Amino acid sequence: MSMGPILETAQLSKSYGRIRALDNLDLSINEGMVFGFLGPNGSGKTTTLALLLQVLRPSSGSFNWFGKPQWDNVRKDIGAILESPCFYPYLSGYQNLMVSARIKEVNLAAIEPVLRTVDLYERRNDPFKTYSLGMKQRLAIASALLANPRVLILDEPTNGLDPQGIVEIRNLIKKIAGTGKTIILASHLLDEVQKVCSHFMVLRQGTKLFQGSVKDALTDQSLIEVAAADMQYLAEILVTYPGVEKVERRDDKLVFKASSMSTAQINHFLIEKKIVVSHLAKKNGNLEEEFLRILAKHE
Amino acid sequence: MKNYRPFWILVIMYIVVVILITCGGGLFLQFLKKQGADFNGIDPTLIPLYDFPDIWQNMTYLGSFCKVILGFIVVISVANEESFRTLRQNIIDGLSKQEFLWSKLLLILGLSVGATILMFLCALLMGSLYSSSGGMQQVFQSMDFIWAYFLILLTYLCFCFWVTLLLPRTGLVIVGLFLYTIIFEPFFALFLENFPYISDFIRPSTAFFPVRSLYNLIPVPFSKFLLREFQEFVSLKETMIVIGWLGVNLFLCRLILHRKDW
Ligand SMILES: Nc1ncnc2c1ncn2[C@@H]1O[C@H](COP(=O)(O)OP(=O)(O)OP(=O)(O)O)[C@@H](O)[C@H]1O
Ligand SMILES: [Mg+2]
Repeated sequence: MSMGPILETAQLSKSYGRIRALDNLDLSINEGMVFGFLGPNGSGKTTTLALLLQVLRPSSGSFNWFGKPQWDNVRKDIGAILESPCFYPYLSGYQNLMVSARIKEVNLAAIEPVLRTVDLYERRNDPFKTYSLGMKQRLAIASALLANPRVLILDEPTNGLDPQGIVEIRNLIKKIAGTGKTIILASHLLDEVQKVCSHFMVLRQGTKLFQGSVKDALTDQSLIEVAAADMQYLAEILVTYPGVEKVERRDDKLVFKASSMSTAQINHFLIEKKIVVSHLAKKNGNLEEEFLRILAKHE
Repeated sequence: MKNYRPFWILVIMYIVVVILITCGGGLFLQFLKKQGADFNGIDPTLIPLYDFPDIWQNMTYLGSFCKVILGFIVVISVANEESFRTLRQNIIDGLSKQEFLWSKLLLILGLSVGATILMFLCALLMGSLYSSSGGMQQVFQSMDFIWAYFLILLTYLCFCFWVTLLLPRTGLVIVGLFLYTIIFEPFFALFLENFPYISDFIRPSTAFFPVRSLYNLIPVPFSKFLLREFQEFVSLKETMIVIGWLGVNLFLCRLILHRKDW
């Protein structure tokens, strides 16, 4: 599924006066990736997306979409929401989407399906200013989906949605990702990134700290827990298994990094050594731990 | 824009004010007569306000004071795009700055054309009702004032456009523009023109002020009745200055737009 890079940046930087919001970002995103931007508040996620959407002008550095020169108007091929939804308050949801459709040069017939997708069809004729926060966010998502774009850029797409809405949008993103579209998602909900993204990067104070695939980060973090009657002996035997580096005692279990081992392999090994386990489980890591670890490492 | 209530309020306000000013002039003169006022023994109602072809000059002169209302429409329409951040949304959707510029210039052009047609119809109507001099040829003499009127509106609205781009705070711009157009520049120009001790080199510079030059394009008509000697045509030099300003204003719109972050 992944082909050549769809987006490349080189030394991309943006300063607001003295504040360096983005510092020499080098990034390459391939077609078909679901790419998460992680970072604390004010780390430059929105700034980066605004630069990529040509809403802000970079202070230095460059980027290109689809291998086209930077100043080409490629935004019609990109569906995006950036921060809070911005629409004409006195126009209805439908009329606002008409404005977007006119700009993106898509048929007005495309409006109805996207309104249904985000569950706003019933309220399409009410003025935007009467919408709740979550409804505004849904309209923004509808507008991003409107042109059936090659790339979706979503800045905190579930911000303000109810739990059911969050799950719906998450499933929607997964469904769209399944069709091979490229998605860039900025969020500080680590759980969200873990559930939908294939790759991610971590920003802090405008600097990229880490970039990698979610799967690798999770396997890095996954652990195996074992318990048996004689814990002392269990620990001595475990360190002899190839690949096990350090065994730690946590409560009444022993814990070690799983790397690429499976529980079946461990079980087989322990049976050979005549140890009967009372507990054996693989715990998948989560992005939150990895994220905190990355931040801590760069203190 | 067309669904936005303040827009229509301003449009209607403009139409009413223009009609009042153009049609109310005669009533005002009659009112003066009743009050016993007279200008050096001339009956005020005899002032040929609505005579062709002078009517074009008289009406466009009065009408050009209302341009500030049209200015507000432009200010609101541009400032709203920024305060609702819809411009940012539209740019994200793929609107280029060039297209935005054109859409607003189209609005400006539309307003100018509409206002000019309104002025033309009002003057034509009042003229045919009240003019003592007739004849097709006289009616359409001095039509250059209608063109001048159009040019003034176009230039002034472009001026409003870039000022708003520069300072996207609706209230501030509206008050500032109103004060500047109606009070500050005319007085400053008067000051420069009449205050002693100012070198004769600076004095004529008032003709080049952005708003003053617009007022100069249609010279004060009523002095005819007091001074006998006055300018009955649109001067070429002043037209050139205004066209110059139109160019400068357009250039500034473009420049500011391209250097802005959203
Ligand atoms: N218009 C602006 N003027 C000045 N500084 C700004 C502006 N916009 C953002 N910044 C600064 O740039 C830095 C990055 O902001 P940005 O909005 O990109 O963060 P973010 O990662 O999106 O944060 P959040 O998670 O809160 O959305 C912050 O320090 C912020 O204060
Ligand atoms: Mg943000």
